[in-house]
Amino acid sequence: MIATLARPSLARILRTPRALLALGAWCALALGFALAVRSRGSANGADHVLVGAYGALILPLLAYTLVGAILGARSLVASIAPLVRFGAAPTRAAAVTVGVALAAGVAIGAVLAAFVALLAHGYGDPPVAGDALASAYAGALGGAAYTAWFAMGASFGKRGGGRTVLLVADWVLGLGRGAVAIVTPRAHLRNLLGGASPMEWSGRASAAALVVIAVVCVVVAVRRASRA
Amino acid sequence: MITLEAVAARRAPLTLARLSLSWGPGVHSIVGTPADGGPLVLELVAGQARLRTGRVRVLDASPRDAAVRRELALVLLDASLPDALSAAEVLALAASLRGEPARDPVARLATLGVEALAPRRVRTLAPEEARAVSFAEALTSTRVRVLLLEEPLAGVDPRAAARLPEVLRARGRDGCAVLVATASLRDAGDLADDHVLLRGGTEAGRAGSLAELSAFSPDGVRVRIVVSDPQALLAAVAREGAVDAVARRDGAVVARGRDAALLAAAVGRAVVASGVDVTELRVEPPSMDDARAASAGVSTATYEAAYTRTLAALAPPSNGSP
Repeated sequence: MIATLARPSLARILRTPRALLALGAWCALALGFALAVRSRGSANGADHVLVGAYGALILPLLAYTLVGAILGARSLVASIAPLVRFGAAPTRAAAVTVGVALAAGVAIGAVLAAFVALLAHGYGDPPVAGDALASAYAGALGGAAYTAWFAMGASFGKRGGGRTVLLVADWVLGLGRGAVAIVTPRAHLRNLLGGASPMEWSGRASAAALVVIAVVCVVVAVRRASRA
Repeated sequence: MITLEAVAARRAPLTLARLSLSWGPGVHSIVGTPADGGPLVLELVAGQARLRTGRVRVLDASPRDAAVRRELALVLLDASLPDALSAAEVLALAASLRGEPARDPVARLATLGVEALAPRRVRTLAPEEARAVSFAEALTSTRVRVLLLEEPLAGVDPRAAARLPEVLRARGRDGCAVLVATASLRDAGDLADDHVLLRGGTEAGRAGSLAELSAFSPDGVRVRIVVSDPQALLAAVAREGAVDAVARRDGAVVARGRDAALLAAAVGRAVVASGVDVTELRVEPPSMDDARAASAGVSTATYEAAYTRTLAALAPPSNGSP
């Protein structure tokens, strides 16, 4: 049943050239940044690219694009409506759809972060293998939190316009290091990737916060979609 | 099979007010525009709209019950299918979700004559074609026992529209409850065995036939005849007693009477008497405006005026005129 419910979402990613092109473009941009830094011979190249371009710009926009592609640029409710009309339980249909987005976000976030760390690695960065693993770990958590964040956004508004509102909110609120920033994935991902921490939280606390954000957003999204 | 007990629901600007209805196996219609609440009733029966008060029971259970949901098919004007799948894959997906054995999707689509759509992705289908695929899924499902259809003969692929009435009636005969929401009294008369007229979210009346439907209108039933010599037929029809009024409209003759059968017989006699060649003869059910006017107690004077003009035109010229 889960495979059946996941099929429309997977088909939307794999069979929509525009979605694939957009996702590919964000990935290519991240790798391009990494190669550019490497060619300049920066001492902490991986650190710079991961905190500056990957965490602040590319992963949020990639997750935003990914959720939009999986939902067909509609709201979560509208996206699962065909399945519900065929007799699927709304809760299950919403959970599987968000689950597909989450899995894709984790996989792309982790792999891309690892590749960026490998390509941009400078002589001042930690050992390359460990750095790639740590980056993949942070990318996976960030990918999960961001896809859940945008899936929750897509449960608001007739056309899922809440997704864009949350993109802006993450951008604005996550910039600082104060109490407001701790509700956004941006602040915690930045901390995990080696940037400034929100309210002096440890990396472990930020990792836990990303998990909590992901879980809360998934629960809210699924509950809202099943009630509609 | 379907029961609505004192149901109230709201979808701005419409409010359904304490609606109590029930339907068994067969084909039934809810006549009214979307603003009168027909599609909202379908969504309530499908468990996809919120009730304010009252109770909806489908197959002796709540429509939100998992087992009941699989036996319901709702096809609205917006077909809403998984856009990245092909039509054949949509049917396979639906069969899997409904828990019915997988069957050849091409054969299922062929029921409505749209088997050519099988390999095409939903996003490449025109809205009319997507609706045809939705109808094919609903009508050929072995699990579905309650079909809820909005405007089945409007906005649908013409190949499917030609076959839909017979397929719908067959499902009704097989013991399914088929509930059609339509703003067209003609479609309701063509498809359904009984009719509920909704007006502004309340029940305005019930009818068991097209003739009874005409009772909702102060103008009765109309017959439109396209003939070789409209003026000759006009004169012959005007002499018939069962005809309340007659007028020429767009090159055709339109006659009105209280009783559909008596009116048809009168028109037949007039055709024979006038010796004209008939190109088309069609019973026209009252329009929604007629029905609204009837339920609001408002009578229209259009035909009376036309009748007066016709009589004046047919009156023999007086010999004394210059």
